[in-house]
Amino acid sequence: MKLPRLFASTARLALWYMFGVVVGVSVLLGSAYLFTQRTMERNVDLVIETEIESLREEFRGGGIKRLVSVLDHREDDWGRLGAAYLLVDKQGVPLAGNLTSWPTSFQTSGPWIEFEITLNEQGRAVDHPVRAAVVTLDGNRLLVGTDISERRRFALRLRQLTYWGVGLTGAFMALSAWWFSRRVAARVRAVAQACESIISGDLSRRLPIGSTGDEFDQLAGTVNGMLDRIEQQTAAVRVTFNSAAHDLRAPLQRVRGRLEKALAGAQAGDATDIAVQAALEDLERVQRTLAVLLQIAQAEAGGAGLPPERVDLARMARELGELYAPEAQSRRLSLRVDADAPACIDGHEQLLAQLLTNLLENSIKYVPAGGSVTLAVRQERGEVTVSVADDGPGIPGSSQAEMLLPFRRLERDAAAPGSGLGLSLVAAVVRLHHGRLELRDLAPGLRVTCSFAGAS
Amino acid sequence: MQILLVEDDVEAAGHLCQGLREAGYEVRHCADGAAGLAEARAARYDLLIVDRMLPLLDGLSMVGQLRAGGVLAPVLVLSALGTVDDRVEGLRAGGDDYLVKPFAFAELLARVEALMRRASGDNRLVSTLRVADLEMNLLARRVTRAGRNIDLTAKEFQLLEFLMRRVGQVVTRTMLLESVWNLHFDPQTNLIDVHMSRLRQAIDRDFSPQLLHTIRGSGYCLKDPGAAA
Repeated sequence: MKLPRLFASTARLALWYMFGVVVGVSVLLGSAYLFTQRTMERNVDLVIETEIESLREEFRGGGIKRLVSVLDHREDDWGRLGAAYLLVDKQGVPLAGNLTSWPTSFQTSGPWIEFEITLNEQGRAVDHPVRAAVVTLDGNRLLVGTDISERRRFALRLRQLTYWGVGLTGAFMALSAWWFSRRVAARVRAVAQACESIISGDLSRRLPIGSTGDEFDQLAGTVNGMLDRIEQQTAAVRVTFNSAAHDLRAPLQRVRGRLEKALAGAQAGDATDIAVQAALEDLERVQRTLAVLLQIAQAEAGGAGLPPERVDLARMARELGELYAPEAQSRRLSLRVDADAPACIDGHEQLLAQLLTNLLENSIKYVPAGGSVTLAVRQERGEVTVSVADDGPGIPGSSQAEMLLPFRRLERDAAAPGSGLGLSLVAAVVRLHHGRLELRDLAPGLRVTCSFAGAS
Repeated sequence: MQILLVEDDVEAAGHLCQGLREAGYEVRHCADGAAGLAEARAARYDLLIVDRMLPLLDGLSMVGQLRAGGVLAPVLVLSALGTVDDRVEGLRAGGDDYLVKPFAFAELLARVEALMRRASGDNRLVSTLRVADLEMNLLARRVTRAGRNIDLTAKEFQLLEFLMRRVGQVVTRTMLLESVWNLHFDPQTNLIDVHMSRLRQAIDRDFSPQLLHTIRGSGYCLKDPGAAA
């Protein structure tokens, strides 16, 4: 399963990108918020400092009396400007200002204090935050402050705006990341699917090319060019096979015709009859070797274009088991077929049948009388395995790889009939089906296991 | 019975023509695809034997054009290629049977006969097959001879059905492997013989006369002793 991983890679890239953008937007909006908030705070503080400075001037010019009268004039400004004043003497008795008493609970930050006052606004008690500075003038204490509820509200709005900004950016990025990775994954998947079907033998298939001429289209164009070349070469190889097959088989056909003619003219049992019969038998042997060789060549060349079909290997094993049962019996072998449940793969039926018969014939040929041969077909976790196990002489581990090559035979088997092509064909068919082939020395005996991907 | 043989190998064609004439057929020979196509269109043949690789016009294209032109005579495709795909392509192009070179003449003759019979509509839908006193009920999957029940395995039943549907015809081992086991390649040839001797045991051993005969050099034949030869 390669496709989900491809999807994951683009998704991961998009996620990282999204993460980066969201962090960037957060930093930008966050610093804008902090800067605005600082500036506003600074403005408020400047207003208060200026006011204190001017009140100090009044005090210097006209003493406490002048200050009280100035403050009395300014009391009315409360509602309009949101300014708060309070002047108390050494004993804490209020002399002037629009606050009734010195605030009892407040927070200090540097020279500043912040507290809340409760005002009656149209019959409702409303808390107003106030920021103020305190100065001492000849033992009297003067508090000058300003209502900062408006500023607080503004800061809150700004904060909300920042959150929404970051949140919406994140959501938008997530959405586009999802769309982007889906789009890329879909195009990659289209390429992968086309390639899969080409691998499984459909050499005429080409990758889809879009109209945009983007990188994907360029890639598809390059891959298609490569496929054109492979197809040409495969076609050339096929023509060579066909010519070879024709040039070898046509003369064999003529030989066969002549021999049959000679046989017709001979007396049963005379020297000609015996010689011609023997020649015909040799001819059959040559013919069979040639057939297997051509089949190996074709399988190695990629099956030559027929699309695979659904094949139940278990059913095939049962039928072949039945076909070979009398042969096994006549050699006093016990042949067991263990293939009850269906086990389907997508493949070439005749080649797979040939694979099974080759394995069975090998075992039946080499296992001595009294031995046993087991043909098993199983499907486990999406994999179909076919195994033929026997308790015959086996193949030593060191020679196993060599036995898969054409015309290789063990010295000990030199006398037995056979071409040394059986396992080569098995290997070629397994390769054609993208399967795995394993030979195991059971000491004594041999187990050949072929594994294929089960049909979906 | 008229047969058209389209084969570019003159010597091989000579053997085939001679053999077919000896077997009682009238044969015409064309050496290339274009001539074969013209000849098959010009006259009515009961059977065409067409080599796959022909000069001028490839055998499969020739068959395809004949089929497209409404020529329905059965076609036996001869091929020197013999790979799995080649056979399927041959049948898809409109061939009715397929034979890989080199083949025994007996094999060709058996297939020619089978195609001729098939074309003459000898393949009716029936529920019971009967050869002398051997009876096969296809619905109940039961076989009796002279009223006595005969036990057969599923494959033996299929083998016998194949033979009973072709009573009097020679059936080769390759034909049996292809039709009954669906194997289109050559495993050990004597595999079929063992199965046939078991079948003979079942249907002939305790009865008379013998129905299942071995034809030397060819294959097998189920004969109805009562039928005119």
